[in-house]
Amino acid sequence: MKYLGPLAKDNPVLVQVLGVCSALAVTAQLKPAVVMALSVTVVCALSNLIISLMRSTIPPRIRIIVQLLVVSTLVIVVDQFLQAYLYEVSKMLSVFVGLIITNCIIMGRLEAFALSHGPLPSLIDGVMNGLGYGLVLVVVGTFRELFGTGTLWNFPVLPHSFYEAGYMNNGLMILPPMALILVGSLIWILNSAKKSVK
Amino acid sequence: MKTFSNKYIFVYVSVLVLVVAVLLTAVSLGLKPRQEANRKAEKAAQILRAAGYHDVDGSEAVALFEQVAQRASGDGERETYHIRCADGENGLVVYVNGKGLWGAIWGYVVLAEDLNTVKGIVFSHKSETPGLGANITEEKFSSAFVGKKLYDEKGNFVSVRVLKAGQGSDVPDVHRVDAISGATLTSKGVDAMLMESLPEVIAKLKTVNKK
Amino acid sequence: MNGLFDIFVRSVFIDNMVFAYFLGMCSYLAVSKSVKTAFGLGVAVSFVLAVTVPVNYLIDKYLLKEGALAWLNESWGALDLSFLSLIVFIAVIAGIVQLLEMVIERFSPALYQALGIFLPLIAVNCAILGGSLFMQEKNFPTVAHSFSYALGSGLGWLLAIVAFAAIRERLRYSDIPKPLQGNGIAYIITGLLGLGFMAFLGI
Repeated sequence: MKYLGPLAKDNPVLVQVLGVCSALAVTAQLKPAVVMALSVTVVCALSNLIISLMRSTIPPRIRIIVQLLVVSTLVIVVDQFLQAYLYEVSKMLSVFVGLIITNCIIMGRLEAFALSHGPLPSLIDGVMNGLGYGLVLVVVGTFRELFGTGTLWNFPVLPHSFYEAGYMNNGLMILPPMALILVGSLIWILNSAKKSVK
Repeated sequence: MKTFSNKYIFVYVSVLVLVVAVLLTAVSLGLKPRQEANRKAEKAAQILRAAGYHDVDGSEAVALFEQVAQRASGDGERETYHIRCADGENGLVVYVNGKGLWGAIWGYVVLAEDLNTVKGIVFSHKSETPGLGANITEEKFSSAFVGKKLYDEKGNFVSVRVLKAGQGSDVPDVHRVDAISGATLTSKGVDAMLMESLPEVIAKLKTVNKK
Repeated sequence: MNGLFDIFVRSVFIDNMVFAYFLGMCSYLAVSKSVKTAFGLGVAVSFVLAVTVPVNYLIDKYLLKEGALAWLNESWGALDLSFLSLIVFIAVIAGIVQLLEMVIERFSPALYQALGIFLPLIAVNCAILGGSLFMQEKNFPTVAHSFSYALGSGLGWLLAIVAFAAIRERLRYSDIPKPLQGNGIAYIITGLLGLGFMAFLGI
């Protein structure tokens, strides 16, 4: 249970306000959101693991540079793999894969956790933070695609009778600002829930 | 906390950079053939779709493309092709590109041998709004172009205009398709792209044909 | 569409870093408590963008792009180092920020007082790396184009953060539901501001 915090209570995006940058732009549809979530999880977990393994050898003076080097290497590897095996999605993600480097979650976890913990807890911490971040992306992506285009994962899910009854896709959902408003609402819900638990 | 000498730091960074460089080069070289195959397959599948072959993907598309298409002129993206369309007739594939609302848009137009009738068309885009401008890639939009003419009876270039219903009522049906509602600027982009790219490419094709 | 001025206007209003691409959100949310600091950070971001993007443009054009090395040696023309661009860009940005900090401190203590504290923050600001990456994707024909793009993006960012900070200063006096206070309302305001900016799309 100790490690589950980042999924909800300490969610990096919703509570710690880390790493909102860049990534919300890929949530207009579910598929790129999921791929982005997985990429961030992989980078976050592996960089945590590597830095944790190297932690006693890294000279403190240059640790930020070493961290940047490790993270950007991992990001490039992920990017290359996406281009080779998930070409369609990699086109949708375009520069946002590269921007994982400056995602504050990753650098933040390296500084706050991996530098002072062993490899296994670091790995788990990385996975959990990546997933907590991914969860937000996926929830936002689901809402935006479902209400914006009436599809999920590109399959139409809303029955035709809806449209015949006068239902219209909400084009507003697809526009970038809606992602922010959705995240704001998620924070609202989470905060309300937290208070009632207490 | 341990202290580290300057020499240690220097060696440490050098080794790290070396490891990273070797790793990245290996990954990049190892995956390159696959990435290039992807790009090639995507282009082939797009052109085939414009020519009326549906549901071919990946290596199949590349194989079929090599069978039915033959390079006519140009190089790189600007290449034009002779192609045997799905209906058995011959056509010419030309590449067009322009700007949409957010970024680049491009497409392949299959022209009949008279270099006037549109036999098929596909569009692609970098980052148009999903569900709105991005719908230019869909069959529903592109199929409206089939059978439209680029030149009027007198031989003047009018292009196939992308216009809203009621707009430009002097443009006859054979030269127009309906714009996507809610995606005015992307539609305008498509309109401008065809208007600007086609005359030049066709002029070039005509000189090649004369030779 | 290809004029320098068009690129500039477009990157300020339409392709706005914050509202259209969510870039630089971390510092955007953290440093927008007062208009004055927001303005300082905004100027610093514009400044660094305007320096790093053209530099990265040159590096990309003459060192990294496919065939870019041909000017050194014919046989190197086939080399494509673009997979290294991420790592090179971030290194260049970190280096330039460091350099700027030293130069400003040396020559203009007043400016250093104003911008100094923001500079270290900027090296890991996604708006800066984003600027370079979008520049690479947009394939500008000359350095001047990339400069005008960088300047526009920076000013767009400045505009966004100052507008947001101004609203936030007022917000202190308004009655917001408890669970929504703080970050919740901040996101929603950004979204609404973004909707306002969408009006520029028609330009």
